[in-house]
Amino acid sequence: MTTVLAPVAGAAVGLWAVPDPVFSEGLVGPGLAIEPLREPGRAVAPIAGKIVKLHPHAFVVVGDDGRGVLVHLGIDTVQLKGEGFELLASEGDRVGAGQPVVAWNPVEVEAGGRCPVCPVVALDAVKEAVTRIAEGPVNAGDELFRWT
Amino acid sequence: MPERKVTVESEVGLHARPAATFVQTAAKAALGVTVAKGNGEPVNAKSILAVLSLDVRQGDTVVIKAEGEGADELLDELALIASAP
Repeated sequence: MTTVLAPVAGAAVGLWAVPDPVFSEGLVGPGLAIEPLREPGRAVAPIAGKIVKLHPHAFVVVGDDGRGVLVHLGIDTVQLKGEGFELLASEGDRVGAGQPVVAWNPVEVEAGGRCPVCPVVALDAVKEAVTRIAEGPVNAGDELFRWT
Repeated sequence: MPERKVTVESEVGLHARPAATFVQTAAKAALGVTVAKGNGEPVNAKSILAVLSLDVRQGDTVVIKAEGEGADELLDELALIASAP
């Protein structure tokens, strides 16, 4: 079992609330999303493991059991090409759950006309394997969902 | 083994929607399917984690392989997804 932490502070919402069908229809996988607080923040690792992919706008951490969790910071934020994001770790690093990975500012993302909501996705998981823990407000590092 | 070699044209590479569509299509098939970046190590095309970890960018070439009944049809479909702009 894996307990997946909230990577950012905000309000936990269902993936259905993400304005991108790739996430809202569960094409990437099951999970939850966070409507982030509108203030500069640091996105933390949702699980302990290795950062196998690190983009400014998204990263994947894989635990020792091989399970990968994707954190996406805002929607269509790939178009920002890293502007407004600061990497606090490197690809290939081992991180503890809750360790900061990327600094960003949801206010800037939103000011640029993009939605700052953050999908947190259990990769290669079936829908039934994910159980919601958080309802409503969460701090970065709070338990978000359980992956059995 | 039947294979297709295609250049990824999508601006975001094989990430986001193209990656999700690619993996969903591969996962529907009963065959084993692999994808490799260039001459790199093939990975399971049915795993979104494996495909995202390949980090295929726009302009990269991927090699998709499958074996068994319906492999050619499946590969044609996957090649179309991977090469879509």
